[in-house]
Amino acid sequence: MKKYVEDLNFQGEEFIGEWTPWSPQDIRRKKCVLEAARLMVDSAFTAPCAGGVPSLEAHIVYGQEELEALARKIEEIAHTNESWKEPFLYEAVMVRDSDVIIFLGNTRCHETPLDAGCGMCGGTLDCGYFYEKKTTKHGLVDITDRSSDKMIDGPLCTARVGDLGYAVGSALWTAATLMVDARPFASIGMAGQKMGYCPKSGMVVGVPVAAKAKNPYVDVNVDYHLINMDKALDNTRKIYQTSRIIRGFDYRKWIPKPKKPEDSQTDGPEGGDE
Amino acid sequence: MGHLMGKEYCLDHLVEVAKSIVLAIHKAPQITGKTKIEAEIIWGEDLEPILDVMEPVGKVMRYVQWDYETIKNCYDKGESPVIIAIGGKVSKSNLNWNCGACGFNTCKEFNAYSKEYKGGGQLGGPSCNWKILDWAMACDWACASAWQYRVDNRIMGSVGFALNALGFMPDMDAKLGLALGPPRDMVYYNRDEMHKSMSYEMDKKDMVNCVPNMFTAFPGGGTPMYKTKDDWWAPPEFMGVGYSEEVMEAYQQVLFEQVPEMVVKHADKIAERYKKK
Repeated sequence: MKKYVEDLNFQGEEFIGEWTPWSPQDIRRKKCVLEAARLMVDSAFTAPCAGGVPSLEAHIVYGQEELEALARKIEEIAHTNESWKEPFLYEAVMVRDSDVIIFLGNTRCHETPLDAGCGMCGGTLDCGYFYEKKTTKHGLVDITDRSSDKMIDGPLCTARVGDLGYAVGSALWTAATLMVDARPFASIGMAGQKMGYCPKSGMVVGVPVAAKAKNPYVDVNVDYHLINMDKALDNTRKIYQTSRIIRGFDYRKWIPKPKKPEDSQTDGPEGGDE
Repeated sequence: MGHLMGKEYCLDHLVEVAKSIVLAIHKAPQITGKTKIEAEIIWGEDLEPILDVMEPVGKVMRYVQWDYETIKNCYDKGESPVIIAIGGKVSKSNLNWNCGACGFNTCKEFNAYSKEYKGGGQLGGPSCNWKILDWAMACDWACASAWQYRVDNRIMGSVGFALNALGFMPDMDAKLGLALGPPRDMVYYNRDEMHKSMSYEMDKKDMVNCVPNMFTAFPGGGTPMYKTKDDWWAPPEFMGVGYSEEVMEAYQQVLFEQVPEMVVKHADKIAERYKKK
């Protein structure tokens, strides 16, 4: 039998920082967020659900390439619907500014409904609204045709969607308890679902998580997709370099200095000794 | 200075805890940021209309019976639970996302359908699924908040049905009730209150009815016997599937006669409160 070997070499140091992005200290910080995200997912799995039926699946995604791919998918979706365009473009920026993304999906809302006749989906006294719009045999939903021109292949069992809401709520409660920043987003969920995250789910919600000085998900400016920290930094690189090359001096010999009042009659720029 | 003794002050404080939980309900994050949420706190004698509606439903619905008897027993013992009613305005989409989750191609088509069928289900409906998510998050924050206060609680569709039938929170479409307290362990899970309510035979019968595959004998013959007793082969028992007039009659009697009777008894008084608001 394999025995647990305890590692008692308990020594070390961890330097953690937010700057510069993707530096070792920043990646260590992100790993802390990953631990928080895992606890958030645990909370989601313990959330109340109708009939105590398991119907949740989760994906945790992190890494520069992964987040960039997700952000680009959101930008793609943004341009398919005028109502989504601006908010979704803003939210793509938030994804790039996140440390970890959680996807939470409900695996039953499109295939195995609660069958309780609650009427929340269609306002009827039975589950007819759901079943009549689906391909079924003997009350079993055939989901093998996954082609759909809609972002979500509805109708869905609304009671199950409610369960997904509970799961997302519990994840966010834990985020608040751990004091990491997190918010639920439709854009991230829909993009993630199209990318294949939470593959068995009929509906997916995305919850980005971050632990930075500034919460990435609030207090944004207008045209956030054009004016944001990444863009501001890139513009600094663009402007500052050129500002340097339009002037020049040999700093070892002479550095311009502010004018002194008594020398105010002297023409030309001030500087140190030649 | 003071000296609080007994249980009375704890029961009184439940209402204060409920108020704090309502703050969490309103603080709950939303996906859309456009879903209207309301919460109300109900306790003591004002639980009676809710219990009156739950009682007949409990006769045909086991989970409602359990909720009803738990709340009723506590209330009768002078340990009234406090119920937080949580409502969401979910039957109309102002999102224009046209995502398809509701089964329609556009929010406009959904809204037209919803206008006609609004409130037809036992728990309301039809619903915009994104708004349901927002409302469910608020319900979840209520539960999470209650646990943080270490108050036994359970979110209940049974109470939601009664709230809907009686016209509580008339501007809201989706409603659930969070039952809080009394202050002790295992009120709503394991349910001390129900210890004498269920016989072994009743539990076993429910299991056979609800999880028949647990009791299915060799199915190779196509008409399997069911192991409903220790000597299940002598004589064997079989299960049948068919329309049950008895069950349907009981459902209809409850839904279309007994519940409306209770609604008529209480609804005007409840409606009056909202007129005063």
